[in-house]
Amino acid sequence: MPERRGYGRIYLLLTVLLAASVLASAALGAFRFTPAEMFRYLLQAIGISEPAATDALARNVFLHLRLPRVIVAGLTGAVLGVSGTLMQGVFRNPIVEPGLAGTSAGAAFGAALVFVLGERTTLAFTQPLGTLAVPLFAFIGSFLATMLVYRASASFGKVNVFTLLLAGIAVNAVCTAGTGFLSYIARDPQARNITFWNLGTFTTANWRGTIVIAVVFAISFAALSRHGKSLNALMLGEDEAASLGIDPSALILRLIIINTAMVAVDTAMVGVIAFIGLVVPHILRMLWSSDYTFLIPASALAGAFLMEVIDVIARFVISPAELPIGIITAVIGAPVFLWILLRQQRAGSVVVDG
Amino acid sequence: MVELRGVHYRAGAAHIVRGVSLAFRARKFNVILGPNGAGKSTLLKLATGLLEASEGAVIYDDEPVKAIGVGPLARRRAVLSQHVELAFPLPVEDVVMMGRYPHFARVPSQHDRDIIAQALEVVEMTAFRVRSYSTLSGGEQQKVQLARVLAQIWMDDQQTGEKYLFLDEPTSNLDIYYELHLLEAARALLARGCTVIAILHDINQALRYGDAFFVLEKGRLAQETDDESAISAELLERVFRVRARRATDARSGETFWRFDPG
Amino acid sequence: MNSRPSRATRTATAVASLALVFAFARPLQAQGAQPERVVCVSKQINEFMFAIGAQGVLVGRDLTSIYPPAIVKLTSIGYHRALNAEGIISLRPTLFLTDGNYGPAEVTAQLEKVGVPILTIKPGQSIDSAAALLVTLGKRFHREHAADSIASAMKTKMAAALKDTVKWANGPKPRVLIMHFGQIANNYLGLRRGSIGDQMLRWAGGVNALDSIGGMQRLTPEAIAKAAPDIIIATDVGFDRFGSGEKFAAMPGVDLTPAAKTHRIYRIEEDDVMYYGPRTVDALHRIEAILHPAAAGRK
Repeated sequence: MPERRGYGRIYLLLTVLLAASVLASAALGAFRFTPAEMFRYLLQAIGISEPAATDALARNVFLHLRLPRVIVAGLTGAVLGVSGTLMQGVFRNPIVEPGLAGTSAGAAFGAALVFVLGERTTLAFTQPLGTLAVPLFAFIGSFLATMLVYRASASFGKVNVFTLLLAGIAVNAVCTAGTGFLSYIARDPQARNITFWNLGTFTTANWRGTIVIAVVFAISFAALSRHGKSLNALMLGEDEAASLGIDPSALILRLIIINTAMVAVDTAMVGVIAFIGLVVPHILRMLWSSDYTFLIPASALAGAFLMEVIDVIARFVISPAELPIGIITAVIGAPVFLWILLRQQRAGSVVVDG
Repeated sequence: MVELRGVHYRAGAAHIVRGVSLAFRARKFNVILGPNGAGKSTLLKLATGLLEASEGAVIYDDEPVKAIGVGPLARRRAVLSQHVELAFPLPVEDVVMMGRYPHFARVPSQHDRDIIAQALEVVEMTAFRVRSYSTLSGGEQQKVQLARVLAQIWMDDQQTGEKYLFLDEPTSNLDIYYELHLLEAARALLARGCTVIAILHDINQALRYGDAFFVLEKGRLAQETDDESAISAELLERVFRVRARRATDARSGETFWRFDPG
Repeated sequence: MNSRPSRATRTATAVASLALVFAFARPLQAQGAQPERVVCVSKQINEFMFAIGAQGVLVGRDLTSIYPPAIVKLTSIGYHRALNAEGIISLRPTLFLTDGNYGPAEVTAQLEKVGVPILTIKPGQSIDSAAALLVTLGKRFHREHAADSIASAMKTKMAAALKDTVKWANGPKPRVLIMHFGQIANNYLGLRRGSIGDQMLRWAGGVNALDSIGGMQRLTPEAIAKAAPDIIIATDVGFDRFGSGEKFAAMPGVDLTPAAKTHRIYRIEEDDVMYYGPRTVDALHRIEAILHPAAAGRK
């Protein structure tokens, strides 16, 4: 199927778009870099040529601020794109987001705990963890929230998709309330930290965090790309998939765990970014195919591309200040999503759980 | 051959299948009959291996179904249920290709592609190959699903081993045209080495197309016979709680049943 | 010195960024180290820099620094709690100046990594510490003479004003609630006992209608009604949302207060009650006039 369809050409197109957007994102912003300069700094970074003293500032900005940021933005787009595809496959519902199963809200709550309580005696043990405390607690919060949702919705060894959705909404509400409460009792500076982080930002990108996200995503993606067929079969329904030789409950659990790890680690660093997971798979389906063997790699590429473009916008519009990413994704994503919804309704295609 | 030996199934406090032992006839059209709530669907699911029996064993060609891996099992038997709705648009050929999933790891071979082409021909849906599944009518969609299950247990000259097709009320929502087509297509498989095990809601269709009959009543096997005339009016009246009498088609001499409220 | 393009060009480039990377990108200028380039994200320190005439070294400010009006011409690098290091560094600063109140925390490490020095001067909670801040700035930016004279003038005037406030000691002390508007959570905050605004209240012969101690307290309608202030002083943004004292007085909770019933709701600039500086004496006089309308009326 893949070769006959010309998926290869589509991957090539997406890769070219991604490369162009990465180049633009690396070059543009409060600092401008020419391709020649970027190349030179990279060579200097790996020790091939000697750095000159005169452009120390620009080089440091490029290597330590710009580059990790560009990479984190792309990775985040890929993580969210794949996660959205994954969840829509598991739930067999197009209106599903990484945030809907409690993943993002749990991560935000975990991080908020560190922001607000980290300095008081109750959580003083986070001090030795230093800057690792936030990602770690975000991951724990995200994982607990997702497992709670899963437990609430699995019975007799089978996962009921509707209950999963409802439990996700409930856990989301609890986590959001918890985060809200924490920011309520927080002293002013801490409360503001949460607010801005919650809106999504790539500002704090550094190499260590970026590498962690890259590794987790690479492992997750490798594990996920084996399941394209299974997700296709799941579209027929759990019983039908079972008769095709797939264990739906085991598959769903495995996919949820991978999804959680990927999204939590990313959310811990960049905050909550909505709509990418919703919009990217939709557009890919509309333009090309709903085949999951195609969607999984394509949504990684397309998500990364979209996020790079959004990051450029975020850094450009009110330069040298920047807009929170979450605001841009909402402004772009919500209308696009509504438009998709209206088109689907008019076309009369059924949006129902099988 | 598929056999059930002393099979029980309990779900919580409900005892849905009570000690059923039977042997489905090989290469025949087996029909399970019974009213709503008799446990027919559960029995079928137990026979397909999708549900595990609380007690007793389900045997496939002298092998307990529990011992057969899900992959090999998927290559030996296929299940067609009631209407399948897809949440996302897919072309017909992709849906049929899913029937070949148990047969290839990552990428389908030319052999797989040939099979789905033939399966589409059998159900007379070749012209719909690249149409989106969601744009089809209910009957057309069910024919596509039939093509999928056919592709799953496709019997060609080289292969050996028995194949089983399970039908769980596949024609409930279809008009008479599609209903007859589907049942004819299923019967045609018998000659090619397939065993059909079906639940049909229409008693007369069941008796007409079936070769072996298994009547279920409150989770127990009330009757097992290869002769449809052995099914008495008393049995039908007791099991289905209606009045039943045999009638004769004046032209062909075939008998069929007339039902009236009990 | 700043070769950054206009807003229109930036927007156009954003739209066609892919192709324009090659057309519009320019090589960076070599960094000239001699003249000071200071980015300051504290509005109090920014005001002081202008006061002592050191504003020539400033090349960037934060969003909330809007006094004196001339400062608005400086590039804003965003809200001081939502900064991004690249934006700061793009102004090629030789110094990042702050009172310690900025975020996110990662910006510190990022600036250090790139070699931008950070100078943190805490302004403290008294007139003397504010004067010390002026002097420190004067020393640092070679405006000692101006700084010293402004600092001592401030202290002298303040001392005189404070001596004058003795007259309120034995008179009636109205209960006053200072309501500030928190734009992050869109709610009203009351200045508690121990805050700078509270101190100015006490000097001006008033008493804080809030019993609690600390910085700021979230106000609910019940809390406001319970505080029952005779006078409400609202800072600019929170007051201007309603436009007039009457409309402000109609707020739930506020409408039950003696202040609302006797139409004693006043507006004040936020900076007047948030930090001490050369303008504090005038602010104090304004507050005195609000609290004691009969007795006030002197310059």
